[in-house]
Amino acid sequence: MALKVDPMKCTGCRICEFACNYHHDGSISPIGSSLMYYYEEKKNYYGMMVKRDKTLMLGRPEGEKVLMPGEQIEGAGASAKPILLRIACDLCKEEDNGPVCMQACPYGVLSMEG
Amino acid sequence: MTMETMNNYNGTILIVDLDAKSCSTQDLTEELIEKALGGAAINMELYEQYKDREPLILGSGFFTATFAPAACGGVITAKSPITGKIAHVPFGWQTGVELKLTGFDFVVVLGKAAAPVRLWLHDGLSDINDSADIWGKDVWESTDKLREVYGDDMAQMLLIGKAGENKNPLAVVSENYWGGKDKAGLGAVFGAKNLKAVAMRGLGSLEVADGFFQKCVELKNGIIAGTIKGKAGLYDIGTALGIDAAALDKLKSITHRNDAGYNCAYPYYTFLKYNEAPTFVDMMGGSKEPGCLVSDLMGFASLAAAGVDAPRAMEKCYRLGLEPAAAGALLKKQGAGIDGLDGLAAGGAADGLAAWSVAGALDSAIAAQTTAFSMAVPTRAIFGGQLDADGWIKRQALAYVLGIDPVMAVLSPEITVENMAELVQISAEWDDFSADTLNTICAELVKKSA
Ligand code: SF4
Ligand code: SF4
Repeated sequence: MALKVDPMKCTGCRICEFACNYHHDGSISPIGSSLMYYYEEKKNYYGMMVKRDKTLMLGRPEGEKVLMPGEQIEGAGASAKPILLRIACDLCKEEDNGPVCMQACPYGVLSMEG
Repeated sequence: MTMETMNNYNGTILIVDLDAKSCSTQDLTEELIEKALGGAAINMELYEQYKDREPLILGSGFFTATFAPAACGGVITAKSPITGKIAHVPFGWQTGVELKLTGFDFVVVLGKAAAPVRLWLHDGLSDINDSADIWGKDVWESTDKLREVYGDDMAQMLLIGKAGENKNPLAVVSENYWGGKDKAGLGAVFGAKNLKAVAMRGLGSLEVADGFFQKCVELKNGIIAGTIKGKAGLYDIGTALGIDAAALDKLKSITHRNDAGYNCAYPYYTFLKYNEAPTFVDMMGGSKEPGCLVSDLMGFASLAAAGVDAPRAMEKCYRLGLEPAAAGALLKKQGAGIDGLDGLAAGGAADGLAAWSVAGALDSAIAAQTTAFSMAVPTRAIFGGQLDADGWIKRQALAYVLGIDPVMAVLSPEITVENMAELVQISAEWDDFSADTLNTICAELVKKSA
């Protein structure tokens, strides 16, 4: 199982990111999430990154890209680096109502595959 | 009364004295929250408290940065140089959330700096930094420069361009690179204070009451299944409102993507690409400045009516920090092209004020009652529901107090006083809070802002 992103459907509302933080530590904050919004604002280029157990998934508008450990986050901007230190997505296995990021997303961008 | 204030606020009001170039804080007390709840209503209380010192107040709403639907909003309160009355100018996108997460719920800016400055709010700290380096630079260059100086491309800005530096009443307070919802000339208030920018980076946190998240998901699901279902972007809003079809077709032909503000279920920010193919996506390649993000239909339509290339004229207004609806009306009157915008940003405003007259019977009915709320927000029910002048004012007051995006408050009749009052109860564990109290706070805001 892994969380999947359908990037061109995403509107960049970022609530999934805050919802994931809430799942991990019960508070509202952008810093403890397994999901991270990254953007290049003037180009209106944006996507969501997911920190997985061993890999990092970039939900880029061009399509998904899975990065293996040690691979460079090319072009995702300096703001993307902190996610490597983040807690990995645990698929919200313990949550009664399923993954909280999926519950929060208004656009059905996020899904579980596998 | 008992309430849990830490679920909604940090508990801190920042007082910035530009005359003395110093900052101090005061507590955001339970008494003040009980009396005015948040956003524009608390801004008004602070305005009264400091009214002898030409206050400019940035406030976050009660729900700003939480899971409440469309809770992206902040609000700037000051005296409008256009009307001479109180104006509340909403800011949203990611800027409202960022303010609250800096650790400051409200920021009161007093007096005037001797030389250009900016505020840098981050992690519960506030710095007043000299801004000779960006004074005279346009909004885009200034935002780039500030993100570079502060080393964070996620930093969010409220700032002014040349129009604001010139204290021109047609100046807006911009949000990052884009014009926001300022139709009150508060950009000129920033300019008069020698305040070029407020840069914010928030890595703070709020607590969450039991059951709040689930209730918010339920409300959000009601909103997405409601009147906005199947609709997106400015094009659908403009079509429903009957805006000039040729201008809308142009907009559609260069639309790249529709974006949403924090936690907003309807993406009404539409990114237009005219310096590369609208469908082009590549983070590293392509144009560094391919287009601009438009959320102000009235401004876009006004520039289109002036016969200029509306998207490019919009970009120019954004760079100058100039209000596009009035600018378009003036260009038309002068028969000028895009370059005429430079003159408008530099020049006096006496001529420009005429261009601010509102259009339509509903707008006039609203203006007869209050000019405190932003007319960048459509004044008619868009995809469904009923809205008259009183209804619009009530919904706006609700949005400005709670920190709900004011366009979302018009787009989503599913957001009601009753369910918002219930959400206040759950969120702050505040059992005796009622819809009547919320109505009273909103009515009081309208009255005090008159
Ligand atoms: S599934 Fe759960 S842990 Fe994984 S990203 Fe979503 S909210 Fe976070
Ligand atoms: S909640 Fe959905 S639409 Fe919003 S940023 Fe996350 S994935 Fe995108």
